[in-house]
Amino acid sequence: MVNYGGDEVSALVVDIGTSSLRAGYAGDDTPKAIIPTSYGYIELPQDQQLGAEGSGDGDVTMAEGDVATNGDAAPKLEKPNQKAKLYIGQNGPSMWREKMELSNPVQNGMISNFDPISSLIDHALRDVMHCEPSEHPVLVTEPAWNTPANRERMAEIMFEEFNVPAFYISNTSVLNAFAAGKGSAYVIDIGSSTASVTPVIDGFVLRRGLAHSALPQLVQAHARHLLTTPSSRRPGIDLWPHQLIAGRQPVDPGSTPKFELRQDRIAGTTATWKAWAEAREVEEWVQSVSGVLDQGWNEQAAGLRGARHYEFPTGYNNYFSAAERYSVGEQFFTHSPQLVSSNPNLPKTIPALISGSLSACDPEIRQVLMGNVVLTGGGSLFAGFVDRLQNELSRNFPHAKIHAPGNPTERRFGAWLGGSILASLGTFHQLWISKEEWQEHGKTIVGQRCK
Amino acid sequence: MAGASAADVRSILSLPNPPTPGPSQPRRTPSTAEKARKPEGISRELYSLIGPSAPTLTAQLAKPRLKQKPNLGGGGRVKWRDLEMDWRSFKNGARGDKLELYHWVKAGTVPEADYPFAKYNVQTMTYVYSQDEYMRLLEDKDWTKDETDYLFTLVRDFDARWYVVYDRYEYEGGPERSMEDLKDRYYSVCRKLIRNRPWAGDETSKAQLITSLTFDKEREVTRKKYIASLESRTPQQKAEEDALYIELKRLEQGERRFKRDREELLRTLLGIDSGLPDLPVEEDGLNSGTTDTKKKKKGHFSATTEPETPVSASSNAPNVISLGQPQAKKSQSVSSARYDATHCIHRTEAPSTTLTTTKSAHVPVYLRSYKLPQPKAPSAARVAQVLGELGISHTRLVMPTRENCAQLENLLETASALVETKKVVDKVEQDIRIMKARLGQQESGGAETGDAAPTPMDVDDGNDAEGEVDGRAQSVISTRSARSRRASRRSMSISSVDTSAIGAVKRQKRG
Repeated sequence: MVNYGGDEVSALVVDIGTSSLRAGYAGDDTPKAIIPTSYGYIELPQDQQLGAEGSGDGDVTMAEGDVATNGDAAPKLEKPNQKAKLYIGQNGPSMWREKMELSNPVQNGMISNFDPISSLIDHALRDVMHCEPSEHPVLVTEPAWNTPANRERMAEIMFEEFNVPAFYISNTSVLNAFAAGKGSAYVIDIGSSTASVTPVIDGFVLRRGLAHSALPQLVQAHARHLLTTPSSRRPGIDLWPHQLIAGRQPVDPGSTPKFELRQDRIAGTTATWKAWAEAREVEEWVQSVSGVLDQGWNEQAAGLRGARHYEFPTGYNNYFSAAERYSVGEQFFTHSPQLVSSNPNLPKTIPALISGSLSACDPEIRQVLMGNVVLTGGGSLFAGFVDRLQNELSRNFPHAKIHAPGNPTERRFGAWLGGSILASLGTFHQLWISKEEWQEHGKTIVGQRCK
Repeated sequence: MAGASAADVRSILSLPNPPTPGPSQPRRTPSTAEKARKPEGISRELYSLIGPSAPTLTAQLAKPRLKQKPNLGGGGRVKWRDLEMDWRSFKNGARGDKLELYHWVKAGTVPEADYPFAKYNVQTMTYVYSQDEYMRLLEDKDWTKDETDYLFTLVRDFDARWYVVYDRYEYEGGPERSMEDLKDRYYSVCRKLIRNRPWAGDETSKAQLITSLTFDKEREVTRKKYIASLESRTPQQKAEEDALYIELKRLEQGERRFKRDREELLRTLLGIDSGLPDLPVEEDGLNSGTTDTKKKKKGHFSATTEPETPVSASSNAPNVISLGQPQAKKSQSVSSARYDATHCIHRTEAPSTTLTTTKSAHVPVYLRSYKLPQPKAPSAARVAQVLGELGISHTRLVMPTRENCAQLENLLETASALVETKKVVDKVEQDIRIMKARLGQQESGGAETGDAAPTPMDVDDGNDAEGEVDGRAQSVISTRSARSRRASRRSMSISSVDTSAIGAVKRQKRG
């Protein structure tokens, strides 16, 4: 046991990202609970009785001082005058409910709204994993640019609300490096809302070399624009989600779709839910047909790839040309000059992020970092991304070596996996912040212990 | 047999002894009551064969069961097959608090006093200084004590990982520090502390420690600048560098080819063989040939000046020959000739006949006795026969000295010449005989057509041939002793009489 350094204390690992929250036992190779971070909520009138509400799985009612209907915990609400019923989990945001608003507590990779966080974690641990958090040490992840206030708030939630015996908060970039089996690495993490590059040396993030941008959001906006804007070839495409479609008929590619909307639902659909559902349709299209050219943008090379067929929930289907498909992925690497001139605050491209980050690093470690590039995050599964990145890197660093696991699970849950490895190491157990220490030192212990 | 093995199994499994006695005791006939205890799931015939003395087998056959499930009963103990694990709490000695975590431990193992992973919690050695020490030794106009304290805290926190220390270094109110500044300050403080503190160990270990803490700031800065300049090259500069590199490689390759050609040429023309330790192939340039020769000669002479026992020299000389030393030969000076004479060194001509540049033409150093002259192929058998008649073995010399070898060669040459001559003589005699016979026929037949002219001509021809052969033999033989000439004469006479009587001639060893 000592030989390979593992000593499992049945710790829990919780990794909160923009698109999903991953939770599981340390020592496993995949998280047990993967739930969307987005949640739906319906604001309740002040006088409505709580007891009558919520019977489905994953429904948690947030109410001050009140006991939630189907949970053991009673989450505290920051805004006491507002009562809302939360819809969390696999059947949370994806189900249509009348007047259900949708929200995401994570903005730019960082938790911006802690209200629903405890409900989300509670759902993942108690409802999905069926375990009692007060019996397990918990390791939580944070982005490299997290604020001290944020991590202290997370520690507070864990100790005060979940009553965990021990807690630790660790950096996603460092954990991604650990998941790749490296202590020093250059972590390129393409999430669903944020792309970041982080130099990691001996398990520590070099903050000077840290850079992140909302590039994936730009890519999605580009794809959405591409689909919905009428062009000479086709009219703008309706992005109605299947929840709002009553029926449709098969049509030829490119012709006008014949479908009926569920008129009963249209009125009750909120703008936030519709935006979320449409973003999903765009995402679906992006993941199915789009890609990135491996040798830089070239109209001719793109033309050789051929068109690809895709059908939307409305029944509209068409062959999407290669130029269209590959222009989406190109947004990761280059911005067109007119786009740059029209919008000065564009998120930085991957090459710009890398060059900016590396110039802030010591010249001596640049080669080391480039030899240990770890590509991770669900966004990096974009077709052709690894090849393109390799080409971009080898232009300046001929010896650049990219570690990109072929297994999508490892790529999507790299940070969780690293946390799973870290929390099951025998030598790690001295680093936990225990409840005793928390009570003794208060919030300052988090900054001292989790460097 | 079955009973014995079952007993063994029992003893191994430490089961209680069966009611049936062992094989050494008289076997009791199984009673009907025992028979009645036939377990379920086993046929009567089989049971009567193996009896009740195969408990493991019967136990297995007893009844089909489901796979054993781990007993997650409770009390923090899990049993699965033979493995029993306890859910135990432990305390980590590396922690400052009383946190108790739980992990699975094999049941029955004694809980270790110390957590096994606590020993990996190794703290790096850090230096601490007192206020007094700082005032006395560590004052620096660029650094305040607070900032130095801050630096030392960071170094301790991050275990002297300088990249991280530099990354996290945020001292309010202090000037912008480079990593070299931080390292320089830290190491200089450490050095000063070690120098001025009482040292328990010996001086060498102290010096070692101080050298391990040396930090040359200027050098590090220059090195960093150099690395940075490597990265800030323009693509043109890189392309130029690449082009230069390729050109360099090309030139090196050309040089190598030139050297190889030159070496081959030298070997062909001058016979530089392996065995010469320093072939002039390592040198470059055309003029190196002459300088090389000089160098070589110099080396040669320096070797002569060394005190050398004449015994070794003379013992080496007769055995090792044909060390091709063409350079030395080319400029053989008087002194070296004298030297050669005194040390019995004989210089031989390199085999200039080999004009091919192939590897097979290359002749390495050999012992003289390995290369005894051989008779030429067409007359080899006859020559061997001749020598055999003389009692001389041409394949082996007892003392293959230079003179003896030369003599043997001469002998062989003469012998082959003799054999050739005899062949011619035989042919001529045969011709004469035929002609005479023909003449007699003509005379007896009364044919007057033929005249005597052919005969003298034939004779003349024979004489000419003989004279020629003789002359050649003479020229060869002239250097030889009279004895060998006599020997060859005798051999001719003998062989002319009988060429097949080899065994009759007694063999004689001659030096």
